Amino acid sequence: MSALLETRDLSVRFGGGGGLLRKKRSVQAVHGVSLSLHPGETLALVGESGSGKTTIARAMLGLAPVSDGQILYQGQDTATMTRAARLAMRREVQVVFQDPFGSLDPRLPVGDIIAEPLRIHGIGGRGEQRARVAALLAQVGLPADAASRYPHQFSGGQRQRIAIARALAPEPKVIVADEPLSALDVSIQSQILNLLAQLQRERGLTYFLISHDLAAVHHLADRVAALYLGRIVEFAGRDALYSSPAHPYTRALLDAVPQIGRHKRVPGHALQGDMPSPLAPPSGCVFHPRCARATSECSTTAPALVTVAPQHQAACHHPIV
Amino acid sequence: MLRFLATRTLGAIVTLLVKSFVIFALIGLMPGDPLDMLSQSNPDATPEQIALLRQMYGVDQPIWERYVTWLSQALHGDFGYSRIQHRPVLGIVWQALGNTLVLTGLAFVISTAIALTLGSIAATRRRSWLDRGINLLAYLGISVPSFWLGLVLIYAFAVRLGWLPAGGMPRPEEGPAGWWMHLTLPLATLVLIEIGGLTRYTRSAMIEVLGQDYIRTARAKGLPAGRILLRHALRNAMIPVATVIALGFGFLFSGALLVENIFAWRGMGRLILEAIMGNDYNLALVCLLFTTAMILVANIIADLAYSWLDPRIGLGGRRGRR
Amino acid sequence: MSEAMATLPPAVSVWTLRWRRLRRDRAALAGGAVLLAMVALCLASPWFERALGVSASDTDLFNRFQPSDASHLLGSDDAGRDEFTRLLAAGWISLSIGLLGALGASLVGTLIGAIAGMSRGWVDMVLMRFTDGIIALPTLPLLIILAALDLSKLGFSQEFIRSGAAGYWRIVLIVTLLGWTGVARLVRAGTLALAEREFVLAARTQGASAWWIIRVHILPNTVSPIIVATTLAMGRVILAESALSFLGVGIQPPQSSWGSMLTNAQELISTAPELALYPGALILITVVAINFLGDGLQAAFDPREDARG
Repeated sequence: MSALLETRDLSVRFGGGGGLLRKKRSVQAVHGVSLSLHPGETLALVGESGSGKTTIARAMLGLAPVSDGQILYQGQDTATMTRAARLAMRREVQVVFQDPFGSLDPRLPVGDIIAEPLRIHGIGGRGEQRARVAALLAQVGLPADAASRYPHQFSGGQRQRIAIARALAPEPKVIVADEPLSALDVSIQSQILNLLAQLQRERGLTYFLISHDLAAVHHLADRVAALYLGRIVEFAGRDALYSSPAHPYTRALLDAVPQIGRHKRVPGHALQGDMPSPLAPPSGCVFHPRCARATSECSTTAPALVTVAPQHQAACHHPIV
Repeated sequence: MLRFLATRTLGAIVTLLVKSFVIFALIGLMPGDPLDMLSQSNPDATPEQIALLRQMYGVDQPIWERYVTWLSQALHGDFGYSRIQHRPVLGIVWQALGNTLVLTGLAFVISTAIALTLGSIAATRRRSWLDRGINLLAYLGISVPSFWLGLVLIYAFAVRLGWLPAGGMPRPEEGPAGWWMHLTLPLATLVLIEIGGLTRYTRSAMIEVLGQDYIRTARAKGLPAGRILLRHALRNAMIPVATVIALGFGFLFSGALLVENIFAWRGMGRLILEAIMGNDYNLALVCLLFTTAMILVANIIADLAYSWLDPRIGLGGRRGRR
Repeated sequence: MSEAMATLPPAVSVWTLRWRRLRRDRAALAGGAVLLAMVALCLASPWFERALGVSASDTDLFNRFQPSDASHLLGSDDAGRDEFTRLLAAGWISLSIGLLGALGASLVGTLIGAIAGMSRGWVDMVLMRFTDGIIALPTLPLLIILAALDLSKLGFSQEFIRSGAAGYWRIVLIVTLLGWTGVARLVRAGTLALAEREFVLAARTQGASAWWIIRVHILPNTVSPIIVATTLAMGRVILAESALSFLGVGIQPPQSSWGSMLTNAQELISTAPELALYPGALILITVVAINFLGDGLQAAFDPREDARG
C-alpha cells in the first residue's frame, strides 16, 4: 500500500535566540522521524508536551522549516513539487488545531470562517459556497443559522465543530488534528471523537491525530507512534502497543491511564522528573535519565529503531518482552 | 555600566551622523541658497557666470560630497558663519542653548514634580471630585495650543493686570527679581502644557500598581500609608512613567520653540525659527544638530534612570528603546 | 447530537457590543457630539455668509474692528472681515487637515507596520530602525523646515506652488510623513502577535497569500487600536497645523485656518483681545472633544471586555 503522506528522516531545527554578537544556539525539535500515513487509516502520534509532535505536524503543513529529510505527498517530494501540485496538497491536507478559541478569527462570522478555504482556493461562486457551508454545518451537527453568528457566541465544543467544518470544506483527503480534544471537557471530548469517527466512515478520511493522551486516541487510532524529545521511540499497531508496549516510555505513558492499558502493570514505572530541555539532550538514549531499566550502555549509545515483533518497532536496548 | 554607556554613546553618534546627513540634505532644499541670492541681486548674470558661482560654492557637487566637506570642517570645530548675524555659528548657539536649558530644565523639574503629585493624588482618590478636576486639567493641558495659552497668559497677567512683562530677556541691571519676572510667564506656559500627559500617565500607572499584591501585603503589614505610596507604589509606577518622560523631551523642545517665540526668549527655539525664516543655512543646521543631540543624550539618561528604578533590567540586556 | 441547538441567540458582532459600551460613556458621547456639531457648523459657513449678508473673505477697511451685532455675530476683524463666518471657514480647513493628516498617517503607519510584521527578518529590522529614528527627531523644527522647503527644487511648477492648494496639501503631507510612526509600531506588534494565532496558521496552511492574511485577518483584528490612534492623532495634527500656521509656514492667505488667524494675534492682544482668543478657544474645544472621544473609544474597544462577550 503506498503512503498518502510521508516523512522520511525528517529533522527540524530552530535557530536559537542569537543576536548579532551572541553565539547562535539551535534547538533540534525533531530528530530523523519517518512516518507514513496510509489512505483511510488513523495514525496517532503521542508524547508529552515539548516532545516535538506539534512541530512534526507543522512541518507537514508547511508551517515549520524542514532542516533535513523529506516530506512526501502521494510520492512527491514537497520541496521540489510544482506550484500546482503544492496547491492541490494544501487543499487536500487540512488541519484542526487544539484551541478552538484561537483557531477561529473572532472578527469573522462562522459562515465566512468555514468558507475561507473555499475562497482561498477559488472553489465555487458565492451561492455555491453558501450552500456548501450550510451542508457542512449540518454534517458537524450545528444549525444552519450558525453561519451568521460569531465565534464568541459558541461553546468550546461547538467551536471545535466549526473548526472541523472548515477543515472539511475543501473536501480533503487528510486531516491533521493537533490535540483536537485537549482543550475540551471530557463529556464533549467523546462527542467530538464520535463525530471524527463518523466523518471518517462517511468520507474515507485519513487522520493524523496528535495527542499527549493515549486514552483519548485509543478509540480512533489504527497505528500509534510514541515520540520522545523529537525521536520516535515506539511504533506499532494500536492493539499491540496498548497490550504489550516494548518501550519503557510508552509503558509509563500507559501506566498514567489505567482504564485502557491491558498490559501487566509493574509498580515503579511511573514517569519521574521532567523531560530534559531539547537545548541539552542527554547522551546515548535520550530517555535514560528517567528510565528504571537504564544501564551504562543506555547513557553512551543511542538505540536504533528496530523491529521487536511483526509490525512493531521500538528504540530501546532493553525492550520489555 | 561603562560598557552600556560606551555602546549607547557609540550608537548615538552613528544616529547623529545619519540624522545630520538627512538634515543637511533637507536644508539644501530650502529656498534662498547663497546662489539664489546672488543671481537675484544681479539679474544680468550670464549662465557661464552662474555656473562659475555654482562651482565656487560647490553647489554643483552631489549632495553627499558637499556633506563630507561640511562634516570634515565641522569635525575641526568650524561650523561656519551665520548669514544674518555675521558671527561664527557656534558662539551664537552656545548662548541660546544656555537660555533654553534654563527654561526647559526648570519647566522639566517643576512639571515632573507637579505631575507626579497630581497623578498620585488622583490615583489614590479615584472617582472623587478631586480626581475629576485633575483629570480635566490634564485634558486641557494636552489639548491646548501652547502658543495660544501663552497669549492668554500675556493678556491676563501683562495686558490686564500688568503684573508681569509680556516677554523679552531680563536686563542684567534688573537683578534676580527681574530675571524671575521675565521667566515666570514662559515657564508657567511650558509647565501647564507639560503636566497634562504626564499626570495622566502617572495616574494610570499608579492605579495599576496600587492594585498589585505587594501593595496589599504592605498595607496588611500595617506600614504607614505615606510610606507605601512613596517607597513602594510611586517607585514602581515610575518605571513606565520614566519612558514617557524621556519621550517627552522632544515634546518639551517643541513646546519651548513656540513659547520662546511668543515671549521673545532668546533661546534655541527662537534661534531655529529665525535661522530657517532668514535662510541662515549654517545656523539652522547647527541648531537642529544640537537639538537632536540633546534628545539623544536625554534618551540615554532616561535609560540609566530606568535601570536605576528597576534593578531587574540589566543595562546590557535591554534593547535600546526608540 | 446532544449539543445541537434548536434556536440560536441573534448574531452579535463585537461592534454591537462595543457600541453598547460606548453608549454608556457620557464624556465620549459629549466629545463626539461636540465634534460633529463643530464639523456641521464649519461646513455651513457659506450658508451663514448668505443668511447674514456678510463675507468671511472680503476685506472692508471702513468696517474694521466692528462690535458684535445682528449681522456680524462676533464683530469684524482687523481687515473688516466677518469674524464669525471667518472662524467657521477657517475651522473647516483646520478640521479637514486634522482628519486627512490623521488618516494619511494611519494609512502609511498601517502599511509599514504590516509589512514589517509580516516580513520579519532584516526588512523588519530596517523599517523599525527607521521608525525609531523618526520618533527621536525634533518634531517641530523639522516640521518648520519641511513647511519652508522650496518646492521648485523638488520639481513642482510655479503655478501649483502659488496656489492655495499647495499650502494645504503640503501640511497634510508633512504631518503624514512625520505622524505615522505610532500606528506603525502598533500594527507591527499586532501583526507579530496575530501571526502566531491558530486562525492565521490555518489560513497559511491553505496557501493564503500575505495580502490575504493582512486583509482578512490582521487588519480586522487590529482596526480598533488603529481607530483609537487615528482619533487621538487628529487632535495632535490640528495642534501641529495651528502651530505651523501661527508661525507663518502653514496655511497661506487667501486661505486661513484657526492657527493662521492667530498669526498677528500678538499685536491684537492689547487692541482687540477677543480676536486673539476665539480661534484658540475653538482649537481647545475641538481637541478636548477629540481626546474625550478617543479615550472613550479606547475603553469601549478594550479586548478584555470583548472576550467577556
